[in-house]
Amino acid sequence: MDRIELLPGIFFQAAQTTRFKTACFSLHLLRPLRKEEAAKNALLANVLMRGTAKHPNLRSISAMLDHLYGASAGPLVRKNGEVQTCGFFMSFVEDRFALEKEKILAAMVDFLRELLLEPLTENDAFPADIVAGEKQNLINMIASEVNDKRAYADQKMLRAMFANDPGNVSRLGEIEDVQAITPAALFAHFQHILAHSKIEIFYAGSQSPETVAGLFANALAAIPRQTPDEVVIRGFQPVGKPQYLEETMDVTQGKLSMGFTTECTCRDPEYPALVLFNAVFGAGVTSKLFMNVREKLSLCYYASSSLLSSKGVMVVSSGIQTENYETAKAEILRQLTACQNGEITEDELLSAKKALCSSLDGIGDSLSRMEDFCSFRVLAQFPMSPAAYKAALEAVTVAEIAAAAQKVRLDTILLLKGATK
Amino acid sequence: MKQTYYEKLDERVFETRLPNGLAVFVLPKKGFSQKCAYFVTNYGSIDTKFTQDGKKIETPAGVAHYLEHKMFDLPGRDVMAEFSALGANPNAFTSYHRTAYCFSCTEHFEACLELLLTYVSTPYFTQESVEKERGIINQEILMYEDSADSKGYEDLFAMMLQNHPAKTPIAGSVESVAEITAQTLYDCFTAFYQPTNMALCVVGDVDPAAVAETALRLLPQTSAPVALRDYGEPEQLTSGVREFTREMDVSMPTFLLGFKCPVPENGEALARMRIVGDLAAEALLGESSALYLRLYDEALIDGSFGGGFEDLPGAAMFTCGGDSPKPFAVRDAILAEARRLANEGIEKETFEALKKSAMGRRIRSLDNFDGVCFRLCESYFEGISYLDFPEIYASVTRQEAEAFLRENLTFERSSTAVIYPRNWEA
Repeated sequence: MDRIELLPGIFFQAAQTTRFKTACFSLHLLRPLRKEEAAKNALLANVLMRGTAKHPNLRSISAMLDHLYGASAGPLVRKNGEVQTCGFFMSFVEDRFALEKEKILAAMVDFLRELLLEPLTENDAFPADIVAGEKQNLINMIASEVNDKRAYADQKMLRAMFANDPGNVSRLGEIEDVQAITPAALFAHFQHILAHSKIEIFYAGSQSPETVAGLFANALAAIPRQTPDEVVIRGFQPVGKPQYLEETMDVTQGKLSMGFTTECTCRDPEYPALVLFNAVFGAGVTSKLFMNVREKLSLCYYASSSLLSSKGVMVVSSGIQTENYETAKAEILRQLTACQNGEITEDELLSAKKALCSSLDGIGDSLSRMEDFCSFRVLAQFPMSPAAYKAALEAVTVAEIAAAAQKVRLDTILLLKGATK
Repeated sequence: MKQTYYEKLDERVFETRLPNGLAVFVLPKKGFSQKCAYFVTNYGSIDTKFTQDGKKIETPAGVAHYLEHKMFDLPGRDVMAEFSALGANPNAFTSYHRTAYCFSCTEHFEACLELLLTYVSTPYFTQESVEKERGIINQEILMYEDSADSKGYEDLFAMMLQNHPAKTPIAGSVESVAEITAQTLYDCFTAFYQPTNMALCVVGDVDPAAVAETALRLLPQTSAPVALRDYGEPEQLTSGVREFTREMDVSMPTFLLGFKCPVPENGEALARMRIVGDLAAEALLGESSALYLRLYDEALIDGSFGGGFEDLPGAAMFTCGGDSPKPFAVRDAILAEARRLANEGIEKETFEALKKSAMGRRIRSLDNFDGVCFRLCESYFEGISYLDFPEIYASVTRQEAEAFLRENLTFERSSTAVIYPRNWEA
């Protein structure tokens, strides 16, 4: 898929496909992940979605979307390594299903223009009541991290592990930073990042890339363009010594979260071997963790590993009874040692390759996965196309997986314990 | 096979009923590499009491879910490893009234389909393997114990329903699953995993006739009689308990509000009531409603708020909910607004826009292979032709939605389940 520079610093990619009933597009402002602006970026997309000059409240926006056959439009805030993005995702039915031949894509691009260029303002600031309401919503959302105990344990572990790393800023910012934002400061920040950010647009649907590029170029021509603020991507900077943390909560099931360094990011040539190691070790129902920690020892319902590929970090999470902590940890590490020793069967290797390749083949079957892969390539500077990546995965040997596993080191453990009743 | 072309949706469905009673559906998706298959039995957690061969049988809560876990065992074979070797992604889940087994793949579709049909039709349970699974299932149950979403639904159902078995959580409890033996699993398999009580659906670029032939070749040639289910006395429309609150380790109060509705007959009545109920929900509290804007502006709700119509065999309800600092104020506002809308009526233009919106979202949902595949099986059990929805939308009137609100959204029919953070002060 070609990526073209539509307007200065505004890049556009399109996947033309007629197989879907839905079309979608996303727009991202790329920002360096920084404590001083993370909360503002997260808040901004939500404030913009509250109204435009033409559609001044949620109800008028929703009514407009109803008329466009239930189109959806939402804020999109992502974090990938040291990049934070702020923008929107829109999906809508293909024009051919419109009963009265309405031009839905064109209307949605125009709505995007409204959001960015005709926001609802009062005296060079966003309306105070809207900012106050969305600040509270964002604070609630940040606080709600505790509701999902598995994600909470992983996040808590990662914060400790990333204590010395520039990537240690959470996607939505911190509650105290949200509290400090004023309507005028947020508006000034918006003016700054609109002019000083690289912008990425992705479209998937039935219309030709040229037609869609023309629509966006017209709609966004008035966006001011100045030198973008630089986004630098680095690997993980460890604290330097292993850490063990525990926390007690009134839960019935304990959570174990373990962070590992891998010395390999998605930009390194060894990355395909690391991905295969992760698959054999802990991703999916035939992985060593699932087969042993769950199936053989019946210690848990889930035990799995995943990669933060832009940072070169692996996370293992499991839900266990607290008293089984030592057994579970020992088994997890034993399976890591097995991988490091190259104890990987042909079947394990083949299954892992098949699962990963099949998943890559399926990207083109899902609009959201296409969007996701394109944005990953840009945000994490992942150098390969799906086809090249697939070929690289297929070529990986057991020795290369073992070599990737040998660089994996346990760094931080968090145990979320149930309170003894 | 019978084929039907749905012009408004540009989809074609092939279907047949095999001599053994199994219903087979195929929805070809040309040009996609992904293929997806669902093999579903009309049996779930609520089917704990039944009569078979004149004998009344009562099984422990959670058995349908336990059975789902153990169906993956085949003598001398490892089902998961075989799926993995084929590059497929298998899964299974149990709801109140169905158990579904599925896979998606891009290659080796035929071999994957054979594996799916084989393992789901082969009961093989040993006491040892049943024992071993108990640790895993207990951890799964404990995981749901800590989830506010699961707890909210369980609390709501427990309050609203008097006799209906959906009062009990799908996975059962650590105590109830302790009673499950290999024999329990065999009994339930025989009672409900008969081809005539099941449906198979495939979505993807495949040959429909070949799917039916494979099923015919691999499955039993006949069906034994399916057990007769007992859901207890029919439910009264007045809710049992109006309010229930509990505390958990959550950051914000979260609530679920339910209203009991009459249970529609299977078939068109059910399909229509779902559409009417969902449109009534949109008119009352959807994002383009006056109520949503007011509650959002007053910070009584946030983006998590929403609702719609839900049904099970023997139970139906309108539910809505989300996070809110004052759940009971939201309930009262919903009751008042429902009364107002029922009296003053829904604006014609608004209702037409809501229909357009709901239709568009349904059309878009047909891009989701898993969703369509499972819904086609479900609809078969419900006597519904799933892709007929454009015709229903075209004929539904706002008077029906108004009547729905008038009859169902009353205090007497309501129950509210609230989960507060510990030591919460509003």
